[in-house]
Amino acid sequence: MTSSVLLSLWVGALATLLALPFAVLFGLVLARSRAPWATALQALVWLPLVLPPAVTGYLLLGLLGPRRPLGSLLARVGVPVAFDRLGAIVAAAVVGFPLLVMFLVLALRAVDPRLAVVSRSCGRGPVATFVRVTLPLAWPGILAGAVLAFARALGEFGATIVLAGNIPGRTDTISLRIYDLYTQVGREGEIAGLVAASIAIAVACVVLAQALDRRHRRRLEVEP
Amino acid sequence: MILEVDADVRRRGGFRLRASLRVEAPRVALVGPSGGGKTTLLDVIAGIERGRVVLDGDDLSRLPLHRRSIGYVMQDAPLFPHLTVRRNLAYGPRAGGIGEIAERLGIAHLLDRMPRNLSGGERRRAVLARALASRPRLLLLDEPFAGLDEARRREAMSLLTALGDVPTVLVSHSPAEVLGLAERAVRLEKGAIVAEGPSASLLRAGETGIDNLLVARVIGPSRVVAGSVEIAVRLPEGASGAVRLACYAHDVILAREAPRAISARNVFPAVVRELADAGGDVLATLEDPPLRALLTADAARDLALAPGARVFAIVKSTSIGCLGAA
Repeated sequence: MTSSVLLSLWVGALATLLALPFAVLFGLVLARSRAPWATALQALVWLPLVLPPAVTGYLLLGLLGPRRPLGSLLARVGVPVAFDRLGAIVAAAVVGFPLLVMFLVLALRAVDPRLAVVSRSCGRGPVATFVRVTLPLAWPGILAGAVLAFARALGEFGATIVLAGNIPGRTDTISLRIYDLYTQVGREGEIAGLVAASIAIAVACVVLAQALDRRHRRRLEVEP
Repeated sequence: MILEVDADVRRRGGFRLRASLRVEAPRVALVGPSGGGKTTLLDVIAGIERGRVVLDGDDLSRLPLHRRSIGYVMQDAPLFPHLTVRRNLAYGPRAGGIGEIAERLGIAHLLDRMPRNLSGGERRRAVLARALASRPRLLLLDEPFAGLDEARRREAMSLLTALGDVPTVLVSHSPAEVLGLAERAVRLEKGAIVAEGPSASLLRAGETGIDNLLVARVIGPSRVVAGSVEIAVRLPEGASGAVRLACYAHDVILAREAPRAISARNVFPAVVRELADAGGDVLATLEDPPLRALLTADAARDLALAPGARVFAIVKSTSIGCLGAA
């Protein structure tokens, strides 16, 4: 049981870290642009949120499966994705991605755009402006999104079981482990433990996300 | 400063600014009605909008705004909310002299505060200090004192005149500010420049608002003479010769009888020359001294004001600002 909980936390954390840089990139583009192509991009980003996770997993398998060009290339260089732990991480990252981008866009849009102009008129270039002003102000909002994406990653089941399979000790996160135990007789105690751990982690995530969100608002509510 | 600007900017909503300008003065004011293109012209000079900008012979047109060394104080410009006042001032890569600038703007005691703990006036001064600390070669000010109360406004103006030699382009609706701060003015209407010249002549040519502007001769440490009237006024140290004075029309009180035992230092007997509607209020123009007083329609009725009526104009000496030598 402990190993499944730890594995879930590990997979969730790595999935969030893996998704974060991409989410920042997409978030920046979507926060600033309202062009038609940005709307199309937005729809693409939302896809994993609205697609059945099993479909997402199947599509990922089509890209990263062992017989696919990208999948076999990765397997050859020693990082097999499908039916391995990395598959669980990628599946969780993709499914949590829309949440992360959504929060990022909101966090970035909440930063007063005049601050960027002020920063540049003080002599700071666009990159320095992002690092010194936009990012610090958006950061608590981004973290709140990351915490929720992490929580979503913990609950990932459909895409994970299709892409990563259910391999004891390698890909059996809490959800997959419960699925496993549920069909067996006399494992109710272990299931109860997993359920309790899940609830504890979920509550902690929500509380943390709320605290970060409050902090974010406090930070921005400076100029009345 | 010699500033040349050529701009053709279209904004959302159909507004278009087409302006070609060459102006030579230490400080220039952009005046004219709202929506005339003043802020857009500042945006061009700052580098937010495209246009040809040549400052003292250097073509800045191709430089992005962070390479122009132009301090832009937008209307209601925010401070960086996550940085202390000190770090706000020290924000630019060329920032320096923070202690001295903070001292001059009267915010030295606020340097370690966060912006959320500042009053509106303190924020304005901190924003101005931040722009100055980056050592700009040109300062753009968009309505820098809008929203400040009278005392703060006058104080902020005197601070700005104390800044000395930073070339400035100022957008302002207040004739007193324009006259006090800028040698030349450019008038923009409907996206085009309609006049350029010494600020005094430009203001007289256009609508002058409802402020009182006088030229007076200093005769004592706090006394001046304008025409035949002696005025008590707070003067800057060492003021002599001719000075320009400004006083808001709504700071002038009218009475039908001579007030007695009153704290106001100036009580002038005068005659009402004309009454005009000023957006629901009444603007009374007096003769000898030539003052304008703004009062509510109710007050005008209660005093039975009419052209030719004899009144007393009452002005506190602290309500009269000295804009410097004439």
